[in-house]
Amino acid sequence: MPTLRLHYYALLREQAGRSSESVDTTAATPAELYTELAARHGFRLPASQLKVAVNAAFSDWDRTLADGDEVVFIPPVAGG
Amino acid sequence: MSDFEFTQAPIEAAALALPLARDAAGGFTSFEGRVRNHHDGRPVTGLEYEAFEALGIAEGERIVAEALRRHGALAGRCVHRLGRLGIGEIAVWIGVAAPHRAEAFAACREIIDEVKHRVPIWKKEHYAQGASGWVNCEHPGPALSAPSFDYSRQRALPEVGAEGQVRLGSARVLVVGAGGLGCAVLTSLAGAGVGEITIVDHDTVQPSNLHRQPLYTASDAGRPKAEAAAARLLDYNPTLSIRAITERLEERNATALLAEADVVVDCTDNFASKFLVNDAAVRAGVPAVLASVYQYEGQLQVVRPERGGSCLRCQWPEATRDGLVGNCEQAGVLGPVPAILGQLQAMEVLKIILGLPGQLQDELLLVDLLACGQRRLAAPRNPGCRDGCVRIESAAVQFAPDDLDVELPLTAAAAAGYRVVDIREPMECRLEPLPLSGQQSLPLARLLEGGLRVEPGRRYLLVCAHGVRSRAAAEFLRARGHANVWSLRGGLAAQDG
Repeated sequence: MPTLRLHYYALLREQAGRSSESVDTTAATPAELYTELAARHGFRLPASQLKVAVNAAFSDWDRTLADGDEVVFIPPVAGG
Repeated sequence: MSDFEFTQAPIEAAALALPLARDAAGGFTSFEGRVRNHHDGRPVTGLEYEAFEALGIAEGERIVAEALRRHGALAGRCVHRLGRLGIGEIAVWIGVAAPHRAEAFAACREIIDEVKHRVPIWKKEHYAQGASGWVNCEHPGPALSAPSFDYSRQRALPEVGAEGQVRLGSARVLVVGAGGLGCAVLTSLAGAGVGEITIVDHDTVQPSNLHRQPLYTASDAGRPKAEAAAARLLDYNPTLSIRAITERLEERNATALLAEADVVVDCTDNFASKFLVNDAAVRAGVPAVLASVYQYEGQLQVVRPERGGSCLRCQWPEATRDGLVGNCEQAGVLGPVPAILGQLQAMEVLKIILGLPGQLQDELLLVDLLACGQRRLAAPRNPGCRDGCVRIESAAVQFAPDDLDVELPLTAAAAAGYRVVDIREPMECRLEPLPLSGQQSLPLARLLEGGLRVEPGRRYLLVCAHGVRSRAAAEFLRARGHANVWSLRGGLAAQDG
């Protein structure tokens, strides 16, 4: 099973209770991965409100994930 | 009427002030310099003034014009008395009308200081002992000397130098939002000597702002932020031109403000404003430095439309709605977070003005101050964005369902058959209960999960503290096909009593 390194920001970090973690997953795409994580951590923001970056570049939600990928979920923030 | 005159006749202050009335002037201030009865410990019975009139008038007019322009005042006038004056008579009178009092006070102060310093006037004092003597016109003491600010420590940088300092002095920067980010940005830009700074903020200082907004003091509470910030920054660096605009940045004023800016800095705290700044910057081809903070984190993005760079909408094509994720008020924030992000913004602005290497472009910088980490993500231009989505999406932001808000007392809403849903957090509900009974309580997060069972034929009114979250929630439900959902405009805060 591929192992991914995950990083969370803002609301997601709060809801996950951590800023990063490693997971073993069968999720093939960021979209599947987010659905899996939303169930585990109780993420409430719909994926349409988020951005995902894979290996330090913004990515589509349906790209294929590979072992060792670093995945970052970024909610928009507006505080000032 | 000249803006600077000499007169032999006694000065009538009220008559001089009349022609300075302006409809746009919210502030008028005047200064009267009077003959006092002592000088250097010697009793004085009267004074006599002489001037080199032709030169004095030309120089005086220049002083008034400079001060009005520097501080954004609307009208000003200075009249100096000549001849013999008794104790208590007005020797010099200055009046300034400006949009707000900060500009009026600053311009008035500058005119009197400069007149004393630069206009050739001599004064003969008549002492009680019968003697008299010409004294040096006015001694420009340390407090009255021309304002100076020493940039030598930054000029010493090889990349800055004298040329860089001139660039900074002629740069025009528009700062939108004078909150936590804005305070940091403004302080650093004023310190660096950015010649023209315009501050746009419609808000007033609240005690809850002070922990992260050190341009304000506790006694500024209730004062317009743009005005208080401008006054504080002019004290800090009086050589600059600082303009305060106590209005919200909107479609109608954005174009004009951007046209006068070399760089715009977004320090706002809501998505609608951020997209507005982004879109206006893209249209005007002006670089925009955007930042946002959340609790212990921040995001920084520099939009370079003049270089064909990516913009906020390239990453967030669907304009994000305010209310879906927390702001500083709802989620909390630690003071150094906006301060650090604001300083990063100031750094990017200085890099752009000075042409320094390492300018951010097509990247999103994520800063996590708990983990002491930062991450640079490539954020390239989205080919589908720009002329297409900027125009369409900004229209969507402006004109999104206009029947979403209703404005009426909650009790009247309940009586009219609305089902009232309080979407605030449980703690907020306990602290300030709704002024009615029978409402449903459903925190926003649960509503977004689908927790509201919408009965057909029934009308729903969503309520929160200020009407921002409820509007987002109503829009969310409308988008899911529930037409009978509205948001209480202004939230609980807008209800009387």
